[in-house]
Amino acid sequence: MLSLIINNVVIFAGIGGFLALLLVIADYFLANYGDCQIDINGKKKLTVKGGSSLLNSLAENNVFIPSACGGRGTCGLCKVKVKEGGGPLLPTERPYLDADELKNGVRLSCQVKVKEDIIISIPEALFSIRKFKGVVETIIDYTYDTKGLVIKLIEPAKIDFKAGQYIQLESKKYAKSKQVVSRAYSMANCPENNNVVELIIRRVPDGIMTTFVHDYLKKDDELYLTGPYGDFFIRDTDTDMIFVAGGSGMAPFKGIIEDLYKKESKQHIVYFFGARTTEDLFLVDEMKEYEKKMADFTFIPVISQPEKSPDWKGESGYIPPLLDKHIRDPKNTEGYLCGSPALIASTEKKMKELGIENVYYDSFG
Amino acid sequence: MKQTPNEKTIQERLKPGVITLDGFLGEDNRHYHDIINEDMEKLKSLNITKEDIADRMQYFTDLALMNNDEEAVIDDIYKVHYLTERGKIVSPFMDRGLIAKGSITLHNMQNDLKVCWTPLNISMIRNHGFFEGKGATHRLEPEILVKAIF
Repeated sequence: MLSLIINNVVIFAGIGGFLALLLVIADYFLANYGDCQIDINGKKKLTVKGGSSLLNSLAENNVFIPSACGGRGTCGLCKVKVKEGGGPLLPTERPYLDADELKNGVRLSCQVKVKEDIIISIPEALFSIRKFKGVVETIIDYTYDTKGLVIKLIEPAKIDFKAGQYIQLESKKYAKSKQVVSRAYSMANCPENNNVVELIIRRVPDGIMTTFVHDYLKKDDELYLTGPYGDFFIRDTDTDMIFVAGGSGMAPFKGIIEDLYKKESKQHIVYFFGARTTEDLFLVDEMKEYEKKMADFTFIPVISQPEKSPDWKGESGYIPPLLDKHIRDPKNTEGYLCGSPALIASTEKKMKELGIENVYYDSFG
Repeated sequence: MKQTPNEKTIQERLKPGVITLDGFLGEDNRHYHDIINEDMEKLKSLNITKEDIADRMQYFTDLALMNNDEEAVIDDIYKVHYLTERGKIVSPFMDRGLIAKGSITLHNMQNDLKVCWTPLNISMIRNHGFFEGKGATHRLEPEILVKAIF
């Protein structure tokens, strides 16, 4: 009796599994959704071949939605508002969406398949994101673990961006790395130099991208990147500004300071740059030059391990306790931070305690 | 061994060069299920749960985070150094969201044991009981880890 039940269960499960497999195969090979239309913000209409993910369909038409996992449905970044079409919400999307997002039709664009006409809404800024092909023009050794990269843009030849924004750089397959990965890096150039993208990249142990850049990338190599992304840029105000950076967090401020210099800014700006030892400092002479050239700019490098740099004559310790004496009026001051999560957490906490309400930092940190 | 498509994907994502350069399996050729099963047996013999371990690791991680990337002495016994990195990483187990990069080094000054983990280790232990394969860069031997952090 028992063996009969088991046999029946196995037979029915087998038939069910076989039919499910047949459906998947049929969908893959036979389903033809024809041309579908994607309406974006009521302003742009794309005609795409149905069957692909919304994320890929948009990217093929030069509309790039930020994604950190390459469309595998694991990072939850590629959210768009779907107003019509798109099919039912999938179980793979639900964990990434809060109650408000569910109510407002927000979906993960990598999980939505384009099988019918779709109406979506995305931030206007995403329209300006492009995919660029470039070649490595210069590789600079800033420190023992930090390199500068200047990528000359080939196609398109120019990038329009605001100083402080970031790009997503694509790696290539190499040695142990079997697939292309994308990582976010702040641009270190100012918008006037829009035919290149400058990056500052610190080696991360076991990092696929940073090992690629530090050990495999050569001058004249071709690279692909997308951008510009992000809202880390100087607000259009006349307030005093405190910049705080650590390590490769120098990158956006290099671009911002070059930009402010070219715009002949008269704003009161104090820039704290943290490093462990003098060996970790870079671009100090360049920043000191801006001190001389700009109306009211002060650059303060700070060493956190002065015992390892006995000849150091400058500021030492942590940056947050040093902020007090450089803030004239907290209500009229904005804070801009870029560095390790620990630096950002402790500096933001201190700035809020001092009464600075507007503190900005990169979302990808 | 029969695997679901999801399990196949996870096994691939644990290999070198997919999410991290060295991957999460080291020289361990076993399926990740077998690695987890063996470590879970070890936890049973130590009379502790993966959640207890993850909670304790998170306790040290949170306290060390506020110490500006410098070493902190916690509860007079543990020297903990959290070296934070910019950027985030996805889990090989395709869990939701992105996880902070960085590494936490703990030195138990009473028994002189040292262990090192990443925020991703905490997530993989808590949600999957995965301590990484033998020889992996961030493999944590459960017995040593428990002795070091409790």
